[in-house]
Amino acid sequence: MGKTKFFIPFLVVVVFLGLSSIFVVDEREKALVLQFGQIKDVKEEPGLAFKIPFIQEVVRYDDRILSLDTDTIEVTPSDDRRLVVDAFARYRIRDVVQFRKAVGVGGLRVAEDRLSSVLNAQIREVLGADQVTSDTILSEDRRSLMGRIQQNAQTSAAGLGLDVVDVRLKQTNLPDQNLDATFARMRAEREREAADEIARGNEAAQRVRALADRTVTETLSDAEREAQVIRGEADAERNSIFAEAYGSDEEFFAFYRSLEAYEKALQGGNSSMVMTPDSEFFDYLRSATPDQ
Amino acid sequence: MAGNSGGPWGGGGNSGGGGDDRGPNKGGGRRPPEGGSQLPEIDDLVRKGQDQLRVLMGGRGGGSNGTGGGGGEGPQFGKGTIGLAALGAVALWVFASVYTVKPEEQSVELFLGEYYKTGNPGLNFAPWPVVTYEIVNVTSERTEDIGERQTRGNEGLMLTTDANIVDINFQVVWNIADPAKLLFNIRDPQLTVQAVSESVMREIIAASNLAPILNRDRGIIADTAMEDIQATMDDYESGIRIVRVNLDKADPPREVIDAFREVQAAEQERDRLQRQADAYANRVLAEARGEAAQTLEEAEGYRARVVNEARGDASRFNSVLEEYSKAPEVTRKRLYLERMEQVLGDIDKTILDQSIVGSGEGSGVVPYLPLNELRRNSTTNQGN
Repeated sequence: MGKTKFFIPFLVVVVFLGLSSIFVVDEREKALVLQFGQIKDVKEEPGLAFKIPFIQEVVRYDDRILSLDTDTIEVTPSDDRRLVVDAFARYRIRDVVQFRKAVGVGGLRVAEDRLSSVLNAQIREVLGADQVTSDTILSEDRRSLMGRIQQNAQTSAAGLGLDVVDVRLKQTNLPDQNLDATFARMRAEREREAADEIARGNEAAQRVRALADRTVTETLSDAEREAQVIRGEADAERNSIFAEAYGSDEEFFAFYRSLEAYEKALQGGNSSMVMTPDSEFFDYLRSATPDQ
Repeated sequence: MAGNSGGPWGGGGNSGGGGDDRGPNKGGGRRPPEGGSQLPEIDDLVRKGQDQLRVLMGGRGGGSNGTGGGGGEGPQFGKGTIGLAALGAVALWVFASVYTVKPEEQSVELFLGEYYKTGNPGLNFAPWPVVTYEIVNVTSERTEDIGERQTRGNEGLMLTTDANIVDINFQVVWNIADPAKLLFNIRDPQLTVQAVSESVMREIIAASNLAPILNRDRGIIADTAMEDIQATMDDYESGIRIVRVNLDKADPPREVIDAFREVQAAEQERDRLQRQADAYANRVLAEARGEAAQTLEEAEGYRARVVNEARGDASRFNSVLEEYSKAPEVTRKRLYLERMEQVLGDIDKTILDQSIVGSGEGSGVVPYLPLNELRRNSTTNQGN
């Protein structure tokens, strides 16, 4: 019993000391062992680690990729068209010792402030550079601009012990006061397009009508020409038929045709004739033998 | 006695269990080492150590709960009690170390904080407290809605290459491909997906003109966005898989949408005008073709008529001529008389005999011919 009485407090002390001298570094963390504020050890790999109880303390830092959104800033590219830009950065703590030295006990909050100002400066610098216009920002080159901001920020943030993994621009918009003007311009463009559409419609319609009218005229006159050719051929054929037939006895033709013509010309009862009975027709009118 | 001391043990066990529950969630790095230092030793010692731990905790718990009696009786337990306590402790330990992973989940196990393995659905064993675990739902799809203008001001408005503004709204659906990467590499997965998606979409929009975005490229934009977001996520080694990107809306901003609708109306108007003209053209062309055909057919008809008439006349003449040549005198006479008969039969005739009129100059009678009267007679005759 007495042994137990002694054993239990002893065990308590041992356990307590043991517990305060070991610590686990998680996969997600890096840890610093500080002794009265002085950096004594760096634990970058996960696993079990030791420290001296009471005098040393452990400070843990996130080893994952952290995010930082910058405030919206206005930049003026070289063509003087202002743009409202914000970005976000993805970064991680590369060097905990340097990080601790740079930001002190403030930790991530201080680091975010610093990184944020670094980013803003780099965004302004890269987007405000000589050859960068707002057209460059609004084009395929945006990616390379983001790459440049990231590299510059990486260089500037190296002193903070940070590794800037990625910087991406989010919005690159017009300032609110320019928004209305842009909307007005878009509207005007659309109106122009609408007017253009209708004008083109009219143009096309007129073209089609004119072409149709022309084709009509052409078709009709073609047909007319063709018809005249046909009529001419017909007349020619008629003439040749007549010529062939009548040419065989011209005298008889004259006689025959005259008779026909008399009949046609004098028919209808609307003609009167004053004649002498001398004509051949009256040869027998006065005597049974023709007077010769 | 046993029952009495069971109270504090139970209390101790409960608070220990509470520690287990907290362990994986936030104390993962802190709680395990307390027992961890003792565990590498023999089973017996382990158990004792845990017992002591529980005594510590139970004692404290008891003290705070005000059940001082249990604490006072603690040191006087018998062998049976110790055995029972040990058994209870083992049961608790097993209970704390075994966990289930549901079909849609995976677990990540950490051995003393270090990545150890990924647990699959089913019953998993993670010997407490050296191994801690976290369960992550990997298959369920999470949706980030980006660009909804009602909720977040002008977020959905994006600037295009030609300095126009387009209102974009899209959803990114994602799940988790690798829970370990997700846990160890990214602090805010959801925020990261949102931010990267917005950035990628703005980048794509900024590299395109307005018209193609509105018209045909929606599918392409969604696909490109998905690829780019996935690529960025892979760069971060985030373990996030982008399942799909739905481009919900790619419209002109509502401030100018009327103007865009007018353009559409104008496009249709243009179409209408063209179609009307086409209709006109079709009509008049058909008419013209018909008319042309008529003209031609008429000409052909004329040809046929004229030629036939000529042939007929010629043939008739030839026939007559043939007859005539057989008996010319008689035929000529007959023809003449027949015709004259017809001709003279029809007309008004006034026959003046030359012999009556007088053959000598100035000696004859001047006949009076009332032509007008003659004509009048003939017309009244006709009228009757």
